[in-house]
Amino acid sequence: MEFNTQLLYGHDQALLALMIFVIMLGMGSSLTVDDFRAVARKPRGVLIGFISQFGLMPFLAFTLATILKMPPAFAIALILIGCLPGGTTSNMFAYFSRGSVALSISMTTASTVMALLMMPIILKLYTGGFTSQITASMQDSGSGAEFVIPTGNIISSLVLVLIPVALGMILRRKSPVWAKTAEDTAGFVAILVILYLLLTAFIRHGGLFVRTPVEVYIGAIGIGLAGFFFGYWFSRLLGVFPLFQRAISLETGIQNGPVSFAIILLSFQEPFQSQMLWMAILYSTFIVMTSSIITLYFRKHGRFDWEIYRNTIIHNRLFGEKYVTEYPGGFLPGRLLRDPSQGHSPSQRR
Amino acid sequence: MKQTIQSENLALLFRAAAEKYGELPAFATRQKASEWKPVSYRELYQQGLNLATGLIELGVEAREHVGLFGDNRFEWILSDYAVQLCGAADVPRGRDVTDVELVYIINHAGIRLAFVETRELQDRLLGLRSQLPELREIILLDPKVEPGEGVRKLLDICDFGSMLRERGDRRAEDRIAGIQPDDLFTLIYTSGTTGTPKGVMLTHANMVSQVRNIPGSYNCTDRVLSVLPIWHIFERVMEMYTISFGGCTYYSGIQTLGEDMKNVEPTFMASAPRLWEKLHERIMRNIKASHPVRQVLFHIAYFLSRQYKGSEYFITNKNLKVNPQPMWKRILLMPFHLLRWAVVLPWYGFFNAAVLERIRLGAGGSLKATISGGGALPLHIDKFFNNVGIPVLEGYGMTETSPVISVRSMDNLVVGTVGPPLPETKVQIRNSDTREVIYPNAGLPDNGKGIRGEIWVRGPQVMKGYYKEPALTRLSFHDGWLRTGDLGIITHNDCLKILGRCKATIVLSSGENVEPEPIEMRLLESQYIEQCMVVGQDRKFLGTLIVPVFAEFQQAGFPVHSPEDLAINPAVQKIIREEIKRVISQAEGFKSFEQIRDFRILKESFQVGEELTNLHKVKRHIVYEKFDHIIADLYASDSAKPLKNPCNGI
Repeated sequence: MEFNTQLLYGHDQALLALMIFVIMLGMGSSLTVDDFRAVARKPRGVLIGFISQFGLMPFLAFTLATILKMPPAFAIALILIGCLPGGTTSNMFAYFSRGSVALSISMTTASTVMALLMMPIILKLYTGGFTSQITASMQDSGSGAEFVIPTGNIISSLVLVLIPVALGMILRRKSPVWAKTAEDTAGFVAILVILYLLLTAFIRHGGLFVRTPVEVYIGAIGIGLAGFFFGYWFSRLLGVFPLFQRAISLETGIQNGPVSFAIILLSFQEPFQSQMLWMAILYSTFIVMTSSIITLYFRKHGRFDWEIYRNTIIHNRLFGEKYVTEYPGGFLPGRLLRDPSQGHSPSQRR
Repeated sequence: MKQTIQSENLALLFRAAAEKYGELPAFATRQKASEWKPVSYRELYQQGLNLATGLIELGVEAREHVGLFGDNRFEWILSDYAVQLCGAADVPRGRDVTDVELVYIINHAGIRLAFVETRELQDRLLGLRSQLPELREIILLDPKVEPGEGVRKLLDICDFGSMLRERGDRRAEDRIAGIQPDDLFTLIYTSGTTGTPKGVMLTHANMVSQVRNIPGSYNCTDRVLSVLPIWHIFERVMEMYTISFGGCTYYSGIQTLGEDMKNVEPTFMASAPRLWEKLHERIMRNIKASHPVRQVLFHIAYFLSRQYKGSEYFITNKNLKVNPQPMWKRILLMPFHLLRWAVVLPWYGFFNAAVLERIRLGAGGSLKATISGGGALPLHIDKFFNNVGIPVLEGYGMTETSPVISVRSMDNLVVGTVGPPLPETKVQIRNSDTREVIYPNAGLPDNGKGIRGEIWVRGPQVMKGYYKEPALTRLSFHDGWLRTGDLGIITHNDCLKILGRCKATIVLSSGENVEPEPIEMRLLESQYIEQCMVVGQDRKFLGTLIVPVFAEFQQAGFPVHSPEDLAINPAVQKIIREEIKRVISQAEGFKSFEQIRDFRILKESFQVGEELTNLHKVKRHIVYEKFDHIIADLYASDSAKPLKNPCNGI
């Protein structure tokens, strides 16, 4: 397939970098140091989430890329997306899907830090076949170069995006009001980024949408859906409470898109850069839609157990920690008979 | 498992609730912000039986009228339980009852035993004793106060009843078995616009039908926040309804409402329109004070929500339809609305989540629905809450109909109406002079929909009559229909829309009839106007009394230090004048005789118990009396400068 369009020029890249900065600052503004401590206090859910995010998701990406016989640069991008840490959008979706926001925040926090270690390992593990395909084609065309995953660059770009996160956390400490504004702005900017990228792609290279192979679309949409599906069933089979199932499902499927933009821009060269970026843009676009739909489904589906959970929390808040809510016999279905209560994340308490 | 309890009378409802919901909390009272005291269904029923037995021992007969004077507290609901469980009926009134009313009510209802909440009420009643020949027993509710001479403590009677029951006393059970559907459960004296209070007789069958017919799906995880006066029929129906689905009622108050909403996270609540107006004011003020980025985000979110909901209501046929809508028009507009709905959806989704949810969190964040009743809800408040995603279901009723006649439901959410009549309830629209049936009338276009008239109602919730007032009762009924005295229409999607009181109608000296309420509602939409009343009976033109929003002017930097300063500040006068001109214009659909020519700013706001009823309805005759001199001043000079209307020349 012919895909030699350069997507972004110098000033676009600068703008994109600025937007990534704003988004990551917003993400940091929503976190506190206590969120990191909360991970240590409740390790079970986070551990299951960790396996789901860094075990399940990259494997799904690899499988999808292989089955669909994707062009190698797109395949590498898909695997890169598969091993990204979670973003703050997933926390919002977790909230609306009546999932555990506390767990979602903990998973985001843990995965953002763990990505530094896990991403290079996972990429090395799964991308071998695809990089050698690229190397082979490059040698055919006589350039004689070898394509390798720039591990060092990836780590340094990850470190780089963590700087605004840290700044955001400092901001939250210094001025909660400004931190909240930063958080809101970030959510809005995230949408603008995707729109901006789509629009520039459309205006400058209208044919791009047509020239993009169909398997790339399937991969971009499918990776998110597969993450939701397997994340949900994986945690459900492990006997996690419904509240956590929904959080883990969304956290697995929703990845931190802006981080992938940063990595691709800073670590890969043309023509692969544009191809990979295009994959990341498509993923970011479709994930907003698919996760909205999944959230609506979860919200409806989880209404009953959420109401019971909320009522328990409020009874304990108002009537004392020792108060036990006794529902009439037969009211609670079997799966909820065990106490569904859980600790609060510090960020949830505002 | 079936979600709600249906029973033949309230005593059986209490018993079934105790059996079914057992240890779940039925009522909770606030001790501190985050410390509430619950009482379970089983406990409440048990205590109710104990107190009932004590009352029977004190000589309370079946079907006797028992006085119950006080405001929201746990002991009130316990007393109500006990009165029902011994087959009697209560005669409730709040702490604000006047001495004259107390004497009238106690003697008229033949009350022999009365509960009083506070020491103050107790002392007043003791002082009036010489005028109350039949009153034998007074029981004090407040456990922290030592009772006066000859007054009993509630707890003592409970303890005594408990002892009797331990010895096998089962007289309460016999009383429960003897309750007939037609027996009164309460006798509520309404203040009445003129003259003496009227005793509205409401039966077990009345209340039970309400519990059965009010729409909604709630279950025993629901939390209901209560702010209305406990003895008001609107609050009482909420309590009984809540008991039927096993929810817990949390007693809040106006002072602590904001805090309680956050702590209790109510899923359901009922209130008078005034509360929603206050809440709206507070939300708007917070938004104005917030960061400019947040303000912009809010306005975008609200705009998108309006577009989205507008199309949603159109597609699902829930838009307000006062006039008939031809099919071709609907078909023509449908593609536009479908397109707009689909285009706005993802954006609305995001902003709803990121921005509007924050506002909903201010009301706890868990509200499934809220009911507004006891007065007309201004349309802009109605729209605002529905657009930010707090469905306000406006209802319509009166004490005489225990009280709900119709209410909007989630499936029938037509903003601007009070929903369709309840099941089993029939509503007619009649010409108030000729009594001709307007709706349903096959002889009129669309069966008479969309034509205004007086609302007549017939159904299981309609009262038995006014106690000892057969003449008055006969006047209120006609062929078995209760005349409500309210004006309304049936919309083209079968909802009821209220247009005002027949009696509030102002007849100008020119002979034109004016409904002041729609004009007042428009005036109240102004951010500067807190309260108002349109006057002009038998005058050449309409005028209005205005209570401005003090905080608004203060915030805008006017040199005002107290609400009195507003009345004499010319700049304030100018702003109000312009506001009136703006909202009551021909462009806004007001006829020339409906326009406000002059106004007066009042130095103090209308108060509950004075110019306002407990549900914040303006008592027009009181205002006319109290501000007689101001109204006279308003019409003193014929040269009262008419408000120039920019549209008049067109």
